[in-house]
Amino acid sequence: MVTCLGDLFYPEVGVRIVRLLRRLGVTVDFPAGQTCCGLPLFNSGYHAEAAEVARRTLPLFRDSQHVVVPSGSCAWMVKHEYPGLMKDSPLRAEAERLASRTYELSQFLVSVLGKTRFSSAVAGRVTYHDSCHLRRGLGESESPRTLLRNLQGAEFVELPASDECCGFGGSFAVRLPEVSSSIVDRKLANVEAAGAACLVACDAGCLMQMGGRLRRRNSPIRAMHLAEVLEADVG
Amino acid sequence: MTDRAAFLDRIRSEMARARGVGGAAQRGELAPRPARPREIAETLRRELAERWRETLEKFRVEFERVAGVYHRVASVDDVPDVIGAIARERDSRRAIAWHPAALGVDWRSALSTHGLTTVAMPAAGVESAVERQALRDLIAAADIGVTGVDLAVAETGSLVLRSGSGRPRSTSLLPPYHVAVFDRHALVESLAQAGIFLEAWHEVSSEGREDASGRGGVINFITGPSRTADIELTLTRGVHGPKEVHAIFVEGGLGG
Amino acid sequence: MTELTTPFRQRAAAALDDAFLRQALTIATTKFIDLRREAFDEFPEGEALRDRARAIKEATLQRLDHYLGQLIDNIERRGGHVHYADTAADARRIILDIARRTGARLAVKSKSMATEEIELNEALLEAGVTPVETDLGEYIIQLAHEKPSHIIAPAIHKTKGQVAELFAKELKREVAADPEELTRIARVELRDKFLAADLGITGANFAVADTGTVVLVTNEGNGRMVTSLPRVHVAVMGVEKVIPSMSDLVVFLAILAKSATGQKLSSYTTLVQGPRRAGELEGAEEFHLVLLDNGRVKQIGGTLREALACLRCGACLNVCPVYRQIGGHAYGYTYPGPIGILLTAMLHGGEAVTDLAHASSLCGACLDACPVRIDIPRMLIELRNENVEHEVAPRGERLVFRLFARLLTRPRLFRLAASLGRLAQRPFTRGGAIRGLPGLFGEWTRTRDLPPVARQTFTERWASLEREA
Repeated sequence: MVTCLGDLFYPEVGVRIVRLLRRLGVTVDFPAGQTCCGLPLFNSGYHAEAAEVARRTLPLFRDSQHVVVPSGSCAWMVKHEYPGLMKDSPLRAEAERLASRTYELSQFLVSVLGKTRFSSAVAGRVTYHDSCHLRRGLGESESPRTLLRNLQGAEFVELPASDECCGFGGSFAVRLPEVSSSIVDRKLANVEAAGAACLVACDAGCLMQMGGRLRRRNSPIRAMHLAEVLEADVG
Repeated sequence: MTDRAAFLDRIRSEMARARGVGGAAQRGELAPRPARPREIAETLRRELAERWRETLEKFRVEFERVAGVYHRVASVDDVPDVIGAIARERDSRRAIAWHPAALGVDWRSALSTHGLTTVAMPAAGVESAVERQALRDLIAAADIGVTGVDLAVAETGSLVLRSGSGRPRSTSLLPPYHVAVFDRHALVESLAQAGIFLEAWHEVSSEGREDASGRGGVINFITGPSRTADIELTLTRGVHGPKEVHAIFVEGGLGG
Repeated sequence: MTELTTPFRQRAAAALDDAFLRQALTIATTKFIDLRREAFDEFPEGEALRDRARAIKEATLQRLDHYLGQLIDNIERRGGHVHYADTAADARRIILDIARRTGARLAVKSKSMATEEIELNEALLEAGVTPVETDLGEYIIQLAHEKPSHIIAPAIHKTKGQVAELFAKELKREVAADPEELTRIARVELRDKFLAADLGITGANFAVADTGTVVLVTNEGNGRMVTSLPRVHVAVMGVEKVIPSMSDLVVFLAILAKSATGQKLSSYTTLVQGPRRAGELEGAEEFHLVLLDNGRVKQIGGTLREALACLRCGACLNVCPVYRQIGGHAYGYTYPGPIGILLTAMLHGGEAVTDLAHASSLCGACLDACPVRIDIPRMLIELRNENVEHEVAPRGERLVFRLFARLLTRPRLFRLAASLGRLAQRPFTRGGAIRGLPGLFGEWTRTRDLPPVARQTFTERWASLEREA
């Protein structure tokens, strides 16, 4: 599943994931007709509309054995909210089935494929931002760290207060842009303190927020998706 | 204005509506309660008596962590020396104390040899408003308040004091220095154990009555001195209550 | 998109411009976060106790009428009086009646969010009773004619210099800007008030049903003063504060202070059981408990039911990225922070929080920090949903989101929109980034660059990517 932000703004991430998974022996399919998981609608309170998106998205993945999502928040939406949105619908069982087969990328690599050692596509110091939906929503903080700690050719450092929000929050970022950017500034100050050249996250929303602010500040620090730093499997 | 019946009726009708509402499906379960708390408390006391040294050490550590000042003496007769030293160092002359019957011992004359005038609180209620006012003025002017302790909670370094006859609430509140005297019988390990004693103190007899003789209307858990951090988070002690709390452990017991 | 600029957004922006406020917030919230973490780190049983505490709240709510009935019986048995307030106005009237009947002129108060909520001080003043806040932070706020900006640290937005100025004005003499000295002055000033007051007013952290006990937790000792010295004590308490037994109480005590200030227990936990008893020297001759509904009862079966478990510890404020930037006043109501948005909706209805319900990035830090694990993000989303369904959300916003929903359910239209976006972004794209967009998107590009829609979206690249295999 490649969801809206990834599809439109970061297609390269999707391409890298497909190639990486294929090299690991996974048969990758991308069912046609995908748009967005519906999280932006859901979080803003448009639940009927979000349910409609879920209803259209669910059948697309009927034949997939595992569903891999590049963003923690979309994975959370599918795993956490789809079953609830479909609770009075004939698709409920299907929603629950999809939820149980859906993984965020790092989870899939570590837990399903058992792959933890990769060479790095970037050199220097790498740090990691915990996306809220991935860490608190899905309770996943170890898989990305396992991958980054084992990364060959780069040095992983912990980010102070890595689990603090980046201030994206979907429509929050445009409803309260001043507050949203003050929040990301605090995050970026921590990234600078960590002395990292590369800031890794597993969520297109966070990357858009942190990357967008870094660019605006003409910072040399690069915000990258996990898939962009994982080069090749080294055992 | 609403009366009890109408108020509770409305709550009842909302409760009926709640079945099926989100949170209402959550698991609801109360804390386990001792069926006969007084018996349990007595058993607990016996068990605790066997390991009072460890409990006392834990209490000391926690009490000092909350800025309490800990003292240990061998017998009740050593207590006045400690209080006398506290008074001397702080240039204190006036003390008030729980009534000797509530403390289990009378230190007044011993304290006077240390230059400390000590007034014991009355054993019973005071009917005359004038007299009550005079006593309150006395308490408010005192430098040191001497009390006993009903429970010393090791987990938190807390002193639990029940108010009642001979043990006015303000003895441990108005004077800037609070000195509490206790022995091994007051020691409990945890808040949970303190909870058993709270239950025991309120146990209703088979006749449906609570034993409240001599009891007052307040129980206080005192955990260190009065403190505030309301101005720029700067920790300051003694804002309304005492700025120092001393606990004197009497190894030989307090008697009474 | 003018409706995106709401009064709340303006207040938030003003707060962001206040350099001192932001520094104070950072220092205070960071310190509270660290203290809380340390407290729970050395208390391994804490996690299980949090679950137990929540289960107690839930079990109590399931039989709320029973436990309230028990509480009332026991307080009356101890010679206390219980009053029933459906609204804030009822509560004020009840308390003013007590003040009038007892001839009270001076009331001392210990910190209570419930009395803030019912705006009691204004009513007392009008009735000729002088209310004096005795919690140091609240005292400062009262002198400044402001509202608390944090549930447990009401004056964190004030510098010691500002406090010194307030004291100097009140006392009409020079005062040093030293917290130690300022605290000493407050002790002396307020000591006289405690001794002179006729009426003591408190809230209640808990009320234990089966013993008729009102529990007050303070660090300064003012709660003890207020309940021991004046001849009348009135406690104001939301109905949800009742808990069944002392065994339940110790569960809450074990987590409350740790969550609030990182202490194992606050300095004073005071269990008040009715008026002064025979044989006692001190204590109020009259004890009154005011049970307050004010929007709570209808949430027993409502969207905000979970919020009835709140202990008012303030932990969710400290960890909230939004609160940490803007502080409490910007929220505009008695209760700030994430839980404050829910309580505001409880007290004033969902319409009151059309903008506030969005003052959260839904990061979930509040849920993690809450000692009783209240799912605040879930309820914020529910409130947003209700405001959409009841058409309280701004019309323009609803239009935009419904249009967006249409694109998402029509893949071909979605593709078309992407292509249009690619065309439209051209004039704004420089060096691979977009700046200075108009309208809604401009709210993004004001502070951040936006990546352009890719030359080829992933969907468009899939055909060739599929062949690679």
